[in-house]
Amino acid sequence: MLKVEGLTVRAGTVELVSDVSFGIAPGERVGLIGESGSGKSLTALSLMGLLPEGVTASGRARLGERDLVGVPESRMKRLRGGELSMVFQEPMTALNPLMRIGAQVAEVLTLHGRPRQEARERSVELLERVRLPGPAQIARAYPHQLSGGQRQRVMLAIALANGPGLLICDEPTTALDVTVQKQMLGLIAEVAPALLFITHDLAVVASLCERVLVMYGGRVVESGPLREVFTRPRHRYTQGLLAASRLTPRGTRLPIIPGAVPAAGHFPGGCVFRDRCPHATPACATTPALTGDGHAHACWHPAD
Amino acid sequence: MPTHAGTPLIEATGLNRVFRRPRTSLTRPGAAVHALREVSLTVRRGERYGIVGESGSGKSTLLRLLCALDQPTGGTIRFDGQEITGRPERALRFLRENLQIVFQDPMSSLDPRMRVRDLVAEPLVALGLPVAGRVAELLDAVGLPASSAERYPHQFSGGQRQRIAIARALAPRPKALVADEPVSALDVSVRGQILNLLADLADELELTLVFVSHDLSVVRHVCETVAVMHQGAIVEAGPVDDVWAAPAHPYTRALLEAVPTLEGLI
Repeated sequence: MLKVEGLTVRAGTVELVSDVSFGIAPGERVGLIGESGSGKSLTALSLMGLLPEGVTASGRARLGERDLVGVPESRMKRLRGGELSMVFQEPMTALNPLMRIGAQVAEVLTLHGRPRQEARERSVELLERVRLPGPAQIARAYPHQLSGGQRQRVMLAIALANGPGLLICDEPTTALDVTVQKQMLGLIAEVAPALLFITHDLAVVASLCERVLVMYGGRVVESGPLREVFTRPRHRYTQGLLAASRLTPRGTRLPIIPGAVPAAGHFPGGCVFRDRCPHATPACATTPALTGDGHAHACWHPAD
Repeated sequence: MPTHAGTPLIEATGLNRVFRRPRTSLTRPGAAVHALREVSLTVRRGERYGIVGESGSGKSTLLRLLCALDQPTGGTIRFDGQEITGRPERALRFLRENLQIVFQDPMSSLDPRMRVRDLVAEPLVALGLPVAGRVAELLDAVGLPASSAERYPHQFSGGQRQRIAIARALAPRPKALVADEPVSALDVSVRGQILNLLADLADELELTLVFVSHDLSVVRHVCETVAVMHQGAIVEAGPVDDVWAAPAHPYTRALLEAVPTLEGLI
């Protein structure tokens, strides 16, 4: 359903995302994981046609029969919020503080051609669908009157308004408490048609997704079925991330990945992880290709 | 490993903190918000004490009181045997020298216009202690190159900034370090580095650590004692392994179940 091939995002001469390819089948839930600065959000924004000024995407991305990359804004406008939609990390900044909740949900419906009256009724139904208590009251409330979890549910209602084929969630639960996060993840799993879920939290992906893509330095370094990637990681970065995510007993050292994620444009040539990798050799100066069917990895010295 | 033995360093009894909402009527006062209700806790010397709770549970209010950044509306706090509640700032010097804090967000807790040298030296300058050579010593202790002293916070990554904040907190050689969610703004690969550093420093300098987090698994790695907060009260407290293995309060159970883990699923 979504097919991305050779997606590259550049800011001037700096490559921020390089040659990313993946697909999402209808009904499939795919996780995109990596640390901040690895290019996850830019990948999502380029699919939505929401890249900031001065940042350009090239390559191919098709949702069903429609192109997503390199198409004029007028065409993207019809797709965005219709065929595909996105839930952002910060529900407070994503919602308009001066508009009532109901009006914000109805807006995305009227923009896609629904009559005003119908949109208003439908928006209350949508708020009910994301399990907001008292949807009619919530529709009359302003964003500041809602809690973080409620606001994120409103974002989800807006994203689902036009029955999209693909839902992109960019760290939708990072700002929420764990108990609220659990409810929100359950809801997303239930309502998402097909899902691209971006997060840095491996445990969240493990509870939600079937397949996972691991990004580092703007490249997909490993991809495959979640269970396989998490139990038998091949790329050294995935291995390090998994090790660092498990908290060892008190009094023992936590496994770490040495160093820090470099700033954009300062990743080493060849394998992007080689300056932090304990297994790096001179061979790593050449870029490894993402190889393997199903469970693929881009590493010259993969773990067994 | 430090044990539960040791004399009490921080003793809080019956702490209450009531905030008032702005009044909405001319005749009645604004509604009261009970941020803390009858909170009592004892942190012993050398102990690593964890406080767990969700946003709005009162953990930050409690921390502010323990650091005398705010005054309780009821109850008392003793630090090292001395009462700290109700004192004016100028009578809190002993506390400022012996208890320091590391905040959650290293971005907003470091002044962007100050060089690292001045940031780390600031507590010493404020307390009128000698600075000479201490900055280089502290930067070395937290694993930053001496050349960092001349740079500004924005030139560092999140993990490095948290190291700067830790160096600053350790400057006056405190007995106790309070850490308010020190790793929740960090990436997972860097989280381990900072937690290891905190553990090393606590061992080396024999620090008493009060560690606040929303994640019980992080607290379990760092602390031996934990208090679980919910709606302004401590609902459960005890050795962290006991609380982890057999949570007594329904809220603690809900919290434990809600934290997504890798172990259960893989």
